Amino acid sequence: MDQNLAKFAAYLAAGIGAGISVIGAGLGIGKLASSALEASARQPEASGDIRTTMIIAAALIEGIALFSCVIAMLLAIK
Amino acid sequence: MEGVLVNQGESGNIHSEATHNSHSSEISPQQVFPTLLGTLGEHRELTFFHYHIIDLPVIIYDKEYGFDIYSNIDKMKEGGKYTFSETHKIVKVSNPNETPTLDLSVTSLVCFQWLAMIILLVAFFRVGRRYKKDPLKPPKGLQNLLETIFIFVRDDIVLPNISDRKAALRLLPYFVTLFVFILLMNLFGLIPGGHTATGALGTTAGLALTALFVINGTAIRQIGFKNWLHHLLGGAPWYLFFIMVPIEIISMFTKPFALTVRLFANMTAGHVILLSLVGLIFYLKTIVMAAVVVPFSIFMYALELLVAFLQAFIFTILTAVFTGLAIGEHGEHSEHSAH
Repeated sequence: MDQNLAKFAAYLAAGIGAGISVIGAGLGIGKLASSALEASARQPEASGDIRTTMIIAAALIEGIALFSCVIAMLLAIK
Repeated sequence: MEGVLVNQGESGNIHSEATHNSHSSEISPQQVFPTLLGTLGEHRELTFFHYHIIDLPVIIYDKEYGFDIYSNIDKMKEGGKYTFSETHKIVKVSNPNETPTLDLSVTSLVCFQWLAMIILLVAFFRVGRRYKKDPLKPPKGLQNLLETIFIFVRDDIVLPNISDRKAALRLLPYFVTLFVFILLMNLFGLIPGGHTATGALGTTAGLALTALFVINGTAIRQIGFKNWLHHLLGGAPWYLFFIMVPIEIISMFTKPFALTVRLFANMTAGHVILLSLVGLIFYLKTIVMAAVVVPFSIFMYALELLVAFLQAFIFTILTAVFTGLAIGEHGEHSEHSAH
């Protein structure tokens, strides 16, 4: 019974944690994409540089989300 | 597709004997997803759909028994030292809870990694020989492809991010290899019957380990050991070292760790989505689902193709960015001015 409760709590924590971190990462990448689009619309000749910088920043934001996914995975396979 | 799949997950509700040797067993709806996801893991044999191609050697090192090499899993069981547990792990016969110290087996992922290496070596050596023979001859065939990749990596990845041009050109071969190697391994997963070697943490961790050495090695070589140590302060005054040094050391290892997890998660996630979509047909046991699943999985496949290129690009450019950051602006002035 106690084992089951711990498992239940771990799964719940994993699911909720992954969900919340995905909200954060989604907001971050959305903000990033909107700013990059605005910037390249204002200055189309710099769009190549902006795209590269955007991809790097997106990868870094994604990395943070992936960290939380790893934590969630560790909880889920506990 | 069923039957040949060896489930390596934790579920343990499929017995190893049943799935390992019989190629025509039925799989119940509940077992569809665990079985399909099991195909993502490492296998101890090479298969092409139903067709069994070759058994892969099992190489085990243990403190107690020493090195053991078996030509396949059945030989290992006959050997009497090790056996398969219910969760598809190799365990000792004498103590079923104990795994051997090191499992150095050649698995399917290792095979595909070797395949990528062989293709790279052959392609680059062939092209390289042509350049040596006559550098001014117009490129043709494979040369065009590799030259395009090479120029792309040089002009879009390495040179803009590493300010010191000499160091950048010295590191260029590493970055080109990294890009093409990761790209090839990613693309292998999209070929029917192929496996994504980058979908295993071990592979990506190995790649990130080289990145760790390159980042810090280049920094030490370019700016000197003393300045590299100084960088650990992160530009803060010296009396803050007890806060800054641990943070900088952690961040030194976080970067490769993030590279590891990013590549692994991106390559695995796409495959999991594809397999889950296809699994829906077998789970619901209706052909109607195919009308929904097939277009959507083709879309996912195209997305996977994009991700395969994008992740190779991201891994390479992030390594370049981190190397550039580690060298810093030290090309001209070596004294640490206030930031």
